[in-house]
Parts: sequence; structure tokens; C-alpha cells
Amino acid sequence: MTDGHLFNNISLGGRGGTNPGQLKIYSGGILWKKQGGGKAIDVDKADIMGVTWMKVPRTNQLGVRIKDGLYYKFTGFRDQDVTSLTNFFQSTCGITPEEKQLSVSGRNWGEVDLNGNMLTFMVGSKQAFEVSLADVSQTQLQGKNDVILEFHVDDTTGANEKDSLMEISFHIPNSNTQFVGDENHP
Amino acid sequence: GDNRTAAKASTDVVAYKNVNDLPPPRDLMIQIDQKNEAVLLPIYGSMVPFHVATIRTVSSQQDTNRSCYIRIIFNVPGTPFNSPDANSLKFPGAIYLKEVSYRSKDPRHISEIVQLIKTLRRHFVARESERAERAT
Repeated sequence: MTDGHLFNNISLGGRGGTNPGQLKIYSGGILWKKQGGGKAIDVDKADIMGVTWMKVPRTNQLGVRIKDGLYYKFTGFRDQDVTSLTNFFQSTCGITPEEKQLSVSGRNWGEVDLNGNMLTFMVGSKQAFEVSLADVSQTQLQGKNDVILEFHVDDTTGANEKDSLMEISFHIPNSNTQFVGDENHP
Repeated sequence: GDNRTAAKASTDVVAYKNVNDLPPPRDLMIQIDQKNEAVLLPIYGSMVPFHVATIRTVSSQQDTNRSCYIRIIFNVPGTPFNSPDANSLKFPGAIYLKEVSYRSKDPRHISEIVQLIKTLRRHFVARESERAERAT
């Protein structure tokens, strides 16, 4: 194939879990189609703002950030795909993918990073998990130090998750200076 | 083995050293890794590990629609156990994950998870206090 790369068994990650599908990366951009039809994602090359790679258990994850703040996560790449796609993104889109690391230490303390729609919980400068604020239905302040995020109940995506995240809360000690006096956070 | 656990201070928890040490991905549901004393939570399509030392309490609840809820509360500064003050000294300015709540369609799985976490926690606490006693 001269124009682009085709990958089977690439999952799109999101609120309700993951959806398997097929991903095409070509000179015009990125196209992902859900297995068996239905959902498709079409990203124009011009809309790609940034690309990241992350090693996840037994495979690799591609993160694609687009113009309007959305962020797609595709999982299922082999190590050799990472190399070839990195070259492809550089030569075709002029984008050098950044490398992110996954935290697996099992700690519950770290930093909260807000970027576009994504809230990232970082442990020791590695990413522990990410949630999309677009799926948050309500935020609440509990006491002076706790922030609760409630998620939409979403049964329509047809994803494969058995247990669904409903609520998550963070404790921000007084010693934290990152978010002092910020009414809108996270 | 015993060497590993003995060397592990409660303020220095490590569930996994390497990304590929995590158990093979199965269904996206709450999972327990007894060997590494970890609870794996599905968050946005990824399994996110938490060491049992970070967990304070776990409880479940069932509603009328046969839906089941599980709530996991983590240790944060100002709560007993896990010497949180030492922790906040060591990591000043850190933000803590305090609580997660999940809905499940499988009450049996949830009650099993609650029991497993409680047992794992009990063993961990017992071992840690024994270790602390020996140290004094």
C-alpha cells in the first residue's frame, strides 16, 4: 500500500469501554470504522493537533487530539506499527508524536492535568487515567477540599464495559497550590 | 515473595513495576489481582490498578432495578491508617483520588469483589502492623 496503512482490530476507547474496529491512516487523515458498521470517525489531516503514543498492557495506544478539543484513543498497535506510523505522521502531517507513559504503581495520589476536554490523573509524571469532562453531568464541591464528578449514564454506545463508572471524587489538600481559588476547577 | 513485601513501606506502594506486569486484559469489569494486591478499575476503556494499601473502605448497594452499585473509598490525608501525614509530607501538593462509584448489572460479581477487597485489605493491614511491631 502506497497511500497509508490499514489496521484491523483497533479499538476506540471511551466512556463506555472499548469498541473494536478498523483504522485507516492515510495522507488525508484518519478513518476509523466500528466493526460491523455503525459508528465511524473521520479526522481530516488538517484537524489533527497532536498525536501521542503510550505503551499499555501488551499493546500500544495512539492518542489523537483534534482541533475542537476532542481526543480519540485507539488501542491495538504492535511495536513495529508504532515505528512505521511515527514516520508516517512526521512525513505526511509534519507532526512528531509525543510519547506518554502509563503509571501502573497503583497509587491514588498525584496531579490533575486539564487539557481541552480531558482530565488526566498523573502519578509521578506518568498517566494513571484519563476521563473526558464532556461526559461529566455534574460537578460538586464537598466541604472545602473535595470535588465530585458525576458521569452521564450512557447505555447507548453499545460498548463492552460491564461495570460503569458513575462518580469519581478528588481530594485536594490545603497544601495544594495548583487550584487555589479557582472556582471552575476541575 | 516475602522479601518484596517486607521491603515495601506503606508510604511507598507499588502494585506493578512494568506495564506488561498487569494481568491480561479481560472483560472491562472490576478485577482483583491477589498476587500483586491490586484492584483494577475500568476507566474509559483502560484497566487502572490501585494497590490495596490505598483503599480505605468498600461497600455495595442494590437498587430496585436489579442494578448494583459499588463504592470504593481511598485513603486521603486526614484519615486514619497508611500514615497519611507522612505521605502528605512526602508528596506535598498532591491531589488524591478519594472515591469511585460504579454501577454494575451483575450483583454476584460485585459482592464477590467486595469480599475479595475486604479480605485482601485485612491481610495487608495485618501484615503491615506485624511488620511495624517487629520494627519497634
